[in-house]
Amino acid sequence: MELNINGKAVKVDASEDTPLLWVIRDELNMTGTKYGCGISMCGACTVHLNGQPIRSCVTPASAAAGQKITTIEGLDSHAAKAVQEAWTTLSVPQCGYCQSGQIMAATALLTQNKKPSDSDIDAAMSGNICRCGTYNEIRSAIHKAAQKMVKA
Amino acid sequence: MTSRREFLVQTGAMTGGLIIGFNLPAAKAKAAEPPPAANAKVYPPNAFIQIDKDSKVNIVINKCEMGQGVFTSMSQLIAEELDCDWSRVVPVAAPVDPIYNHTMFSTIQMTGGSTALNSSYDQYRQIGATARAMLIQAASAKWQVEASSLKTDKGFVTHPSKGRIAYGELAEDANKLEMPKNVPVKDAKNFKLIGKSMPRLDAHDKSYGKAVYGIDVRLPDMVRVMVVRPPMFGATLKSFDASEAKKTAGVLDVIRFGNKVAVVAKNSWAARKGRDAVKAEWNTSGREKISSASIIEGFKKDAATPNLHPKANPDAIKETAADAKALVAEYEFPYLAHASMEPLNCTVNFDGKTAELWSGHQMPTVDRDTAAKIFGLDPSKVKVNSVYAGGSFGRRASKDSDYVREACEIAKVLKKPMQLLFSREDDMKGGYYRPMAYHHARISTDAKGYPTAWHHKIVSPSIMAGGAFAAMMSGGADPTVTEGVTESAYELGKQQVDLQMPTNDIPTLWFRSVGHTHTGFVMETLIDELAHRAKANPIDFRRPMLKKSSRHLAVLDLLKKNTPLGQGKKPKKGHAYGVAIHESFNTVVGQVVEASLVDGVPRVHHVWAAAHCGRVVNPEGARTQIAGGIAFGMSMSLYGNIEIENGEVTTTNFDKYQVVRMNEMPKIDVFFVPSEDKPTGLGEPGVPPLGAALANAIFSLTGKRVRKLPIALEVAKQQQAST
Repeated sequence: MELNINGKAVKVDASEDTPLLWVIRDELNMTGTKYGCGISMCGACTVHLNGQPIRSCVTPASAAAGQKITTIEGLDSHAAKAVQEAWTTLSVPQCGYCQSGQIMAATALLTQNKKPSDSDIDAAMSGNICRCGTYNEIRSAIHKAAQKMVKA
Repeated sequence: MTSRREFLVQTGAMTGGLIIGFNLPAAKAKAAEPPPAANAKVYPPNAFIQIDKDSKVNIVINKCEMGQGVFTSMSQLIAEELDCDWSRVVPVAAPVDPIYNHTMFSTIQMTGGSTALNSSYDQYRQIGATARAMLIQAASAKWQVEASSLKTDKGFVTHPSKGRIAYGELAEDANKLEMPKNVPVKDAKNFKLIGKSMPRLDAHDKSYGKAVYGIDVRLPDMVRVMVVRPPMFGATLKSFDASEAKKTAGVLDVIRFGNKVAVVAKNSWAARKGRDAVKAEWNTSGREKISSASIIEGFKKDAATPNLHPKANPDAIKETAADAKALVAEYEFPYLAHASMEPLNCTVNFDGKTAELWSGHQMPTVDRDTAAKIFGLDPSKVKVNSVYAGGSFGRRASKDSDYVREACEIAKVLKKPMQLLFSREDDMKGGYYRPMAYHHARISTDAKGYPTAWHHKIVSPSIMAGGAFAAMMSGGADPTVTEGVTESAYELGKQQVDLQMPTNDIPTLWFRSVGHTHTGFVMETLIDELAHRAKANPIDFRRPMLKKSSRHLAVLDLLKKNTPLGQGKKPKKGHAYGVAIHESFNTVVGQVVEASLVDGVPRVHHVWAAAHCGRVVNPEGARTQIAGGIAFGMSMSLYGNIEIENGEVTTTNFDKYQVVRMNEMPKIDVFFVPSEDKPTGLGEPGVPPLGAALANAIFSLTGKRVRKLPIALEVAKQQQAST
């Protein structure tokens, strides 16, 4: 099947039912997107499908064919830059394993909502588990990124 | 292939004591080593510091970076003394070599027990100071000036008239010098980096999807392996039918090894599908009858006949038994899974003569030696690569290298690059849990409500027994089961502690703050109960009982000063405060929790934490360790429960094994007691007080004590019972 990932058309050899996550990780060897639970409960596998955050662990790759897929490696929007810069400046990650998914979710939020409130953040981010407990730092980084986007 | 150890011996770098690494001159490198000429700027690595010609400073970290921030905080220790340019510091994970052994657990290289900064504080500063002295000596020789006339600043040696010279230009000369001994370290008042919130050095790679975890390791022609494991602990494999599995596209092979079946495939998804298609028959021999409920009932019976007495004072038994007014309480704690975000995995390349491993390793020496034994190789032929661990919380400090062992057993058959993957369910069902525990306490008090006699029984399986750490058990008692009770800082009067460590098929393991996960809860809810009986402010009540520990008192002072409970403020309607203070890993942490019940579910709104952990090397890193400990403590005490029914674990993924999420995260304020003491633990000590402080707040809300965990389940049951 042919997929459009990070602006590039790629041909992949995978069975129809292969989750997008494993095509990204195993066939394309892009390892920034993580496996966490396989049942869309933790958000570590979050990627964008036409700009919307989706759980790639339960999305068959065939269902994503012909659509715009963005992974952490392909983020380059205004919002993404602000988010990743805030994440780095505030030293958000601890183990960091969930952070690709957190950043994909946060970027999608800020793309749609330039000034999210705390409850907007709760609604957008509560599907993403962080076992290190960096939630407050994630919240601060989203607010910081939002401020940066206003100034820019 | 020359092993790293041989290499260091041959080059004269290993002469005992601390090793300062500089660029090893190319001429000394053996021909078999990668030729330095391939990259003119970087020479073969040496032990702890490598400075390249460009003045980039690689700092070798002998602890596993699993989120706790050692890559940054330990780099600060060396960089402080070395006086190098922080922006040129690159932390590098250490290979396995005795040079990198833990300074306290000296036979192995290991990360655990919240010891990273405590065990490295003197060592890493000494290494940095020695390296700096050698660079100064090299500049002194080059410029023909007195060493005493030289200073250092951000990666340069400076002289009033000669100007400055970069470390990179001196490194090669410095490396030829004999290592000076007893170089003094800085006076703390001159610290520039220690005590500063240096941003995490791994934050960038972890924010751009570039950090490589075990599961991200990619080798040419690497196969993926998933394993069919017994559905019940202790069950044995009778037979299996792999015909469907073998028909799955991408499946390459199905191999029985011992009691398990490995499915080898081209990719992870094929391995998963093939694994799930294997039909296995198991001999479960009565294990269907085992459940969480049956295990705890067994523990309660065991409590009647304790066979170990880590603390004995028969008068405590007599006094409490005769006291009709004694406070009597029993507690039940479930099994807990670490549930790190990165499921377990291990990548192995075994070619018949040498082996190479990749994983997040908390005990790489143990993992290497296990691998060597399985392959029948000398340990020098096994190379261990420690990569970032996507969380661990103790799980990757496996006492018997369980998942590394499994990977190596399969790799031995395959003899090609392979990656063993655990599904989330495999990880959560696989045991190596924080053991279940039962406590029973009977306490007599004086007229003011302070304990005069304390009889405490604990029933919980051992963690250390049968593993590499069994030697640390004294008189058969595992200190990780009783820690926090037997060494309580409180004056408890006469104390008797009884212990029973039942055995079963469920493997146990250290789990962030280990025994303190339950002992802290028990001690701090009991003390709260005594304070409530005495109608005293729970912070003030604790003070006389802790009068011999200035560190506890200093933490109480901060809680008194900085929290609404300490200031005697009334909580909002429907809210309540609870407090707990507990020492673990030589650090004292106190927490005040503000909680309420929202539709009957406990909700934590705000946590104020105070800690005495000696000198704080990186304040922001320290703060986030405490905050992370609070989140972990919330998940553990509110929801954490590995449920076993009809012999099988039923809580196998995040849908049933609930953890705290963004919308539940409380506001957190952290205060540190200013201290000049050597740093003590921080990775774990933030965890134990949280559950107790929350349970104490819930008592204020409902009038009912929570003595059975997880809290949310018990509160729901209590409310059901009262309606």
